[in-house]
Amino acid sequence: MRATVTQYVPGRSPLHRLDPRIKIVAVTALAVALFVRDSYAALAVFAAVAVVAVLVSGVPPRWFWRGLKPLLWLVGLTFVVQILFAPGEAFFSLGPIHLTWEGIERATFLSVRLVVLVVTGAVLTLTTPPVALTDALAWLTRPLRRLRVPTEELALMVTIALRFIPTLLMELDTIMRAQRARGADFAHGGITTRARALVPVLIPLFVVSFRRADDLALAMEARCYRPGLTRTRLHPLAAEARDWLALALVAVVVALAMVV
Amino acid sequence: MRLSCRGLTVAYVEAGRAIPALTDVSFDVAAGVSVALLGPTGAGKSTLLQALKGLLEPETGVVALDGLTAADEGFAARRREVGLVFQRPELQLFAGSAREDVAFGPRRLGWPADDVAVAVEAALELVGLPPTRFGERHPYALSGGEQRRLALAGVLAMRPRLLLLDEPFVSLDPAARRALAAVLRRLLGGGTTLVLATHDVDAAWELCDHRLVLDEGRLVAAGPWAFGAGGEESLVEHGLEPPFLVELWRRLGRSAAEAPRTCAAAAEALR
Repeated sequence: MRATVTQYVPGRSPLHRLDPRIKIVAVTALAVALFVRDSYAALAVFAAVAVVAVLVSGVPPRWFWRGLKPLLWLVGLTFVVQILFAPGEAFFSLGPIHLTWEGIERATFLSVRLVVLVVTGAVLTLTTPPVALTDALAWLTRPLRRLRVPTEELALMVTIALRFIPTLLMELDTIMRAQRARGADFAHGGITTRARALVPVLIPLFVVSFRRADDLALAMEARCYRPGLTRTRLHPLAAEARDWLALALVAVVVALAMVV
Repeated sequence: MRLSCRGLTVAYVEAGRAIPALTDVSFDVAAGVSVALLGPTGAGKSTLLQALKGLLEPETGVVALDGLTAADEGFAARRREVGLVFQRPELQLFAGSAREDVAFGPRRLGWPADDVAVAVEAALELVGLPPTRFGERHPYALSGGEQRRLALAGVLAMRPRLLLLDEPFVSLDPAARRALAAVLRRLLGGGTTLVLATHDVDAAWELCDHRLVLDEGRLVAAGPWAFGAGGEESLVEHGLEPPFLVELWRRLGRSAAEAPRTCAAAAEALR
């Protein structure tokens, strides 16, 4: 069994091969612009960009749907709140609830905006391996090192955490089965009973994790890892012409959206 | 406990696709017999043990315990009498003392406190961790071999009639191995049915009457060892080796079918 947390979908699309730094900057710019501009035309531009990106990425749409599903309640909530508290003339009233055309319009606009935002962000995480993401973040936050923020170390911590989350989930699964073999029951009883049933699972999980962390630290030291030193990389990030082209394209789109 | 499997198929679901772990596995084990479950890494040994204990739901096929299947009355009670010890003891030890940890299973069975105490003491004694010396020790303060035996005690305290062991000899030093082998022989003497998943064909040869060979989720051999009748080949073909004593007998030009089980027996035969 393999558990995945970050949802990178391997592929060879132009978006997959794009420099991760460029992708982060582009997606950030698009996200900010999406919220700065308050026009239907701009929203249409951003929605079009998101659709094109999804198609170019070659990632099956169900992956985007999977990322969107947990956020649907937020979209729903936004919709309801907008409808209930929007100004304007009511065309339908029931007690304290007044439905207005402006409200429905506003709710639709904000919901679509949220969906576009999530899909745009998903393009980044679905086409970029987690390690490339953290590498790019480490590079982009380099100026903070002048302020003595240990950006390299933070990036390494994130990378290690991402690397071990699936391992921990698998271990959790095995531990639960081992305790079920001894009669543990995680599915029945009230909240306190169930919480107590987790003790025999969490203790071994912590012990195993700490032991592994110790081993990993020793192994890293044995391979000459020293915190505070700047590491060189096996695959240095190098932006090529097509990366700059992509960034220029995004800049044009953002500029366009600002005008329309 | 009598055990039989018919057409057992188990699959894992990964990224929406079903990956077969066991395919159409059928075999019988008579009560009181010890069976070695052999096969290369990834052959499905752990999956089979967990399916026998009911921790994994098979896609198709049935497991029968004493002739009873899931639909029969009394099956749940039989399944509680199946003990499974996982490969890594550190995954199941959690209590503050050896005694408390061993008591977890029996308590979950709902036994009265007196019975639990008796079962715990007996189990610790049986695995060679005398409760007077080890009872109050912290499980994580024990050596690897002692932890392995403590994990075994935690299952033995539930008085299983069918014991499933997953790679019990891995990473044990020679003294710990000997101690564990002695415990298993004592259990077999007491009539417990044993299924021992292992890479260690020498230990398997010494302890077990029968063998099951799995490869890529399929059962490729079952029943009594068949050395001298093609049994060696069936092991080598599937990434294993015949036991040392069998190989020695073959090289001595003697009948592999008559190879001794222990060093002592070999010395006796050669003297």
